[in-house]
Amino acid sequence: MTDDHDGVRDLLAAWAFGTLSPAEEHLVAPHLAECASCAAQARRLRETVRLLDGPASNGLPGTPAAPRPPGGASDILAFARRLRPAAPPVAAHAAPYAAAVAGLKALLVEAEGRWGTPVVHDWDVHATVAHLLAADEPLAGRLGIAARVPPSSTGADADGSAWEDAWNRRSADVIVREHGRTPEETVADWAAQAAALLAAPEAHDPEPAGRATLLMGVRLPVADHFVVRAFETWIHTDDIGRALGLPVPPPPAVHLDRLVRLAVRVLGLALGPAAPPVLFAIAGGERWVLGSEDEPVRAELTLDPVDFCLLVGGRYAPDEVPHATSGDAGAVGDVLERAASLAWL
Amino acid sequence: MNHWRGARADARKAPGVVVPVESTGDTSMQLAVDSELHRRLVYGDESALAEAYTAYGSLVRRVAVRVTRSAVAAEDVAQEVFAQLWSRPYAFDARRGSLRSWLSMLAHRRAVDWVRSEARHRKDARADDSALHAIPDAAPGPDEALVDRERSLLLHSALAELPQPQREVVHLAYFAGRTYRQAAVELGIPEGTAKTRLRTALRTLAESLADPPDPALERGA
Repeated sequence: MTDDHDGVRDLLAAWAFGTLSPAEEHLVAPHLAECASCAAQARRLRETVRLLDGPASNGLPGTPAAPRPPGGASDILAFARRLRPAAPPVAAHAAPYAAAVAGLKALLVEAEGRWGTPVVHDWDVHATVAHLLAADEPLAGRLGIAARVPPSSTGADADGSAWEDAWNRRSADVIVREHGRTPEETVADWAAQAAALLAAPEAHDPEPAGRATLLMGVRLPVADHFVVRAFETWIHTDDIGRALGLPVPPPPAVHLDRLVRLAVRVLGLALGPAAPPVLFAIAGGERWVLGSEDEPVRAELTLDPVDFCLLVGGRYAPDEVPHATSGDAGAVGDVLERAASLAWL
Repeated sequence: MNHWRGARADARKAPGVVVPVESTGDTSMQLAVDSELHRRLVYGDESALAEAYTAYGSLVRRVAVRVTRSAVAAEDVAQEVFAQLWSRPYAFDARRGSLRSWLSMLAHRRAVDWVRSEARHRKDARADDSALHAIPDAAPGPDEALVDRERSLLLHSALAELPQPQREVVHLAYFAGRTYRQAAVELGIPEGTAKTRLRTALRTLAESLADPPDPALERGA
């Protein structure tokens, strides 16, 4: 079977590693019996693999079974947890924020030496964390957690119609201040404030979390404000990941669902009850009718959950976000425009 | 405004995929499984670490024991490998290879480092111990197993230096016991490519035995 020569020669390394299928094994042996050059090559490669296996005689077999000492698993997991604590257990409404904080902390470990990398707006990595320190402040304040950064001289109350101006001023002030400190100090303050938010009774007990409060121009239960914090933390983590070339996975599905549901609710409120009705669907998920309940649906619009969040977060333009649609293009355009206009990040 | 979203990896669009960690399915399935586990690791879900350990703990120890020949050292290597997976989750990128091959390569690298540092310590402690300098063609005397041991270390050092595309096929085929075809599927490469990479890798390893010892190992030994 000299026809086999080239084929078998190609297979010899895989054969030496013992990674052929049984059918291929049957091809090799007969050829080696009659082809001296392949046989020599085969011996050399097999000998290399044998040496890679190591000696069989010093108390450990050539292909050692991996011994598992008792307690090995729990020791290993405990050691890992000492280096990085798990996201703390909290109530379901605060779990997306706990996870987002854990995800950003892990990413910031990779920012070492690259704090000046431009991220978004005119912020570098350091400034983006400083922004989050400022952005978490209103909810922290509402829960009675002392601010970690001294009040700004402009110190206006962030409530009311001018909340966005006050929010941007405060963010800018905190960024300027934090740029005078080390990134590690900023991260430590942001992480400590996040930990305090997650330790608050409102992060554990649905009852106090059900209390509605006006923050950033929108009156929502505290539980939902925790979801907003998760949303913003994740979007900025994603920003930083892109800047550093480290793709950030979207939040776990149950968390993403919460972000989407809240964003759809806020979007529905923003459109108002008179808007042309659009059947809005999340790919593989829920469907809602947005706008008027008294008219027939004019159009259908379907978005991927991550893309929808990125649109609402201002990371997609309305005409750029991938979407599937049918029906009245104007009504769909209104929904996309309105979703993008929600962005405050 | 930052509207710079381009195409996003498919793996990011598979929320809610629930499949066992140890999948032998196709490439996209493996990618979805690894991506989901990675996502949970990133977001601080420690049950994901326990799952990764259950799925890949044996492989990591097997790799480490084969290189270090020491159950104690393998334990240390396993500890380091899973601590790194947990504390530096962004170091793994599911689009660049399977978690199985990544953990296997990390374990191997750490095990080779352990052996080198061990050799250095022994040298410091007993600088005149000629047995440690035993090379394959040394005068009659060195125990055959010791010679094999030296050669094995030489090969593992060379393996650790192979380009990653070759290394990951070797890891899946040799350490993780996949056929080269399964390795090809897991890595999303043609079978012929997997075969070629194994051949190039094994030839390089075979040649490293003929060449002078790896300078890094030399430093250590």
